[in-house]
Amino acid sequence: MEVENGGNKEVVVANKRSFRCSDLVLRFLALALTLVAAIVLGVNKETKNVSMEILPKLSPLTVPVTAKWHYLSAFVYLVVVDSIACAYAAISLVITLANRGNKKGLTLLIMISDLIMVGLLFSGGGAATAVGLIGYEGNTHLRWNKVCNIFDRYCHQVAASLFLSLLGATIFLVMVSLSTLNLAKKH
Amino acid sequence: MAEVEKKGVSDQEAKTVPPEHTKSSSSFFSVADVVLRFFLFVSSLVAVLVMITSKQTTTILVTVPPFTTPFPVVSTAKYRYSPAFIYFITALSVTGLYSIITTTMRFLALLKHKMPTTLLLLLIIMDVLVLGIVSAATGAAGAIGYLGLKGNSHTNWMKICYGFDKFCKHIGTSVSFSLFASVILVLLVLLNTYALSKKILK
Repeated sequence: MEVENGGNKEVVVANKRSFRCSDLVLRFLALALTLVAAIVLGVNKETKNVSMEILPKLSPLTVPVTAKWHYLSAFVYLVVVDSIACAYAAISLVITLANRGNKKGLTLLIMISDLIMVGLLFSGGGAATAVGLIGYEGNTHLRWNKVCNIFDRYCHQVAASLFLSLLGATIFLVMVSLSTLNLAKKH
Repeated sequence: MAEVEKKGVSDQEAKTVPPEHTKSSSSFFSVADVVLRFFLFVSSLVAVLVMITSKQTTTILVTVPPFTTPFPVVSTAKYRYSPAFIYFITALSVTGLYSIITTTMRFLALLKHKMPTTLLLLLIIMDVLVLGIVSAATGAAGAIGYLGLKGNSHTNWMKICYGFDKFCKHIGTSVSFSLFASVILVLLVLLNTYALSKKILK
């Protein structure tokens, strides 16, 4: 029994080390991705000169129109959720480094928060996708015109930020799955 | 010889005591799991039904710029007019089907008092995946609903809830039910992880 215990302990320690490496790498990757996604959407601004014909006889008037990221609430929500996820990834990175699998309650708390981050990030991504799709295609039934034919760089930046944010959400999902697998492996 | 036999009997007694002790607490986890999954099924079903029955036809007074008098236009609002709502219906139908399958699976495991670890692990991971799907649906439908409620002056998107009030109420109810479903999924994952960590597999 003692030999088996010693063998078990070694297996547990090896698991802990490999769990730590992949977990730290994933957390750092999630931190980087959500940070970049928040920044890319946060500095999104484009000004274009649109020529409008007011009266048929006069020459067309060029009006500068601006598109900023905070004009749409879904993008504001995505930036907020990305910054929350980034801050959480930084804090949990520090906590995981300091903890090293000693306190079980802390590991459980981090798993709970990871789960909440998965939900938040996916909802932010879904909201920005829906609003971006309206801006890209327009909606003839609701009479919402498309915006992306004028502001193409703005739309491309939104698409890039959305892709990064969804990638970050997937990484959080993988982290939750990995911590669950580790929980099952220990017993 | 008799002492060895007595030791064997006492060892067997010692072995049989712990499973009986964990049976009552482990059945609590299984029962709570089945009840939560049933609530998940009910809430996703209600969300799908409420959104499907949200069709509304009203007459709106439209003012076209050359003319000054507004003339009435009969227009309909259906859930099919927006791809976000179509995704919402699809995602919640998938969740409803998933909850039916897993409720019956867990109920059978509860009756048989046996739940293998790999199945519990698979359930947890699938729960997290479905949580991602449902939260994306909630976010998408919520964003479109909020746009319909408030409109957007910068992009010149008119608010529609002033005319289509029943449609907007249905959308709002549906989104809140799907939010409730995602909260239930979080609770399910927490419950199953706690049960897994305590080595209670029944």
